[in-house]
Amino acid sequence: MPCTCCIIPNDVLTRLSQDKKLSATLRKQLVDTVQVSHELRELRNQAAKLTSVTAARSAGLVTLAAAPSVTAYDCKHTQSLPGTPVPKPKTSSDGSVKRAFNQTGKVAKFYQQVFNRNSIDDHGMTMMSSVHFGEKYNNAMWNGSQMIYGDGDGSIFVDFTRGSDVIGHELTHGVTQHSLQLAYSGDAGGLNESISDCFGSMFRQWESKQDVKKADWLIGRDIMGAAAKKKGFTCLRDMADPAAKHCLAPQPTKYSQITPGMDPHYSSGPPNLAFYTACTTLGGYSWARIGQVWYHSLTGFGPTPNMTMKAFAARTRQGAHTLYPGEAAVFAAVDAGWKKIGL
Amino acid sequence: MDRLKIERVGGVAGFGGPHLKSRGELALSDLSAADQKAVEQLFAEPDKVPAARRGQADAFSYRITRGAQTIEVPEHAVPSAIRNSVKDVLE
Repeated sequence: MPCTCCIIPNDVLTRLSQDKKLSATLRKQLVDTVQVSHELRELRNQAAKLTSVTAARSAGLVTLAAAPSVTAYDCKHTQSLPGTPVPKPKTSSDGSVKRAFNQTGKVAKFYQQVFNRNSIDDHGMTMMSSVHFGEKYNNAMWNGSQMIYGDGDGSIFVDFTRGSDVIGHELTHGVTQHSLQLAYSGDAGGLNESISDCFGSMFRQWESKQDVKKADWLIGRDIMGAAAKKKGFTCLRDMADPAAKHCLAPQPTKYSQITPGMDPHYSSGPPNLAFYTACTTLGGYSWARIGQVWYHSLTGFGPTPNMTMKAFAARTRQGAHTLYPGEAAVFAAVDAGWKKIGL
Repeated sequence: MDRLKIERVGGVAGFGGPHLKSRGELALSDLSAADQKAVEQLFAEPDKVPAARRGQADAFSYRITRGAQTIEVPEHAVPSAIRNSVKDVLE
């Protein structure tokens, strides 16, 4: 059986590979694992460097495609990535494959039509999704190069591809990686999560042609399972009322309530509320004005990995002036949003 | 008996918050010999715990507690025996 453990540092693997108490076969596998681990680490480091260099020099890059390719893979309940390629995902009889493919294509269209962005990296990067990841896996994530969706356990959560806002949320993590490059802790972590919620919600509203009054501003409503609903949880998060009892993950509503080391899925509450307040103060469609200000603040200035919420607030206030110099109501709405949370 | 207490946190849903938990427990002896040695090493040198992958978001991590000491390890670096020991619950 091949050694698939990956918690083990290479120096330990190397030591174990020289341990005569272990079988020769296992020792050989440990040596192989050291080599593969080393190459994978190099690959990951190189990918991270490539993202940074690309972001810094994106103006001079050749675009891969005018519109991105969208691909889908089936992990078949394993955690091996990317899984088996699905040849015709658009017409697949597998609902997870079909939803991941079609919704990813719609997110690409949303970014193209609303923000004039060509895919995750703005240069036509292929948008790759893997579904049926793991056994009853209660999560969806962005792993730095692709989207990954679990089926849910069928009790607390259903299939994560059922949430169009979840798909928009994950893809936006890719956009953040190729623009502000926000870290995943502290203020930057909360902002990182909030930006994914803002654009995930905006995508859901855009798809349903909902204005800010008609929108429900819930995150994850469509992935809640029967056991969660039975306990009164109707969503993961509510951008309009982050601390509400119907939230499975209730959040703080003021910047001052964020504590050191707080999970970014909780510290995203105040900036989510700021965005909601700005949108509803101005009215209309969220993506028409306030969404443009947030997008400009996310993509218009190059990487700022450790950006604070205060600095992001200042950037959106400035962006409201820059993008809409003749519309004082846009600045007033953005200002009202940040003041609501104490920034 | 040396036992490991495990809590899975993070993910897009924010496991580890007030309502959503994912916990498990197992004996160190339940792990393979190689994993046991590795866990021993990690607790001895917690600064060598692998880092989360750059750019990734919404991934799980695992808080592994032995006695009074806790280490946090990203999911990609956790052996399947530890990953499979947790159960998701609503509280």
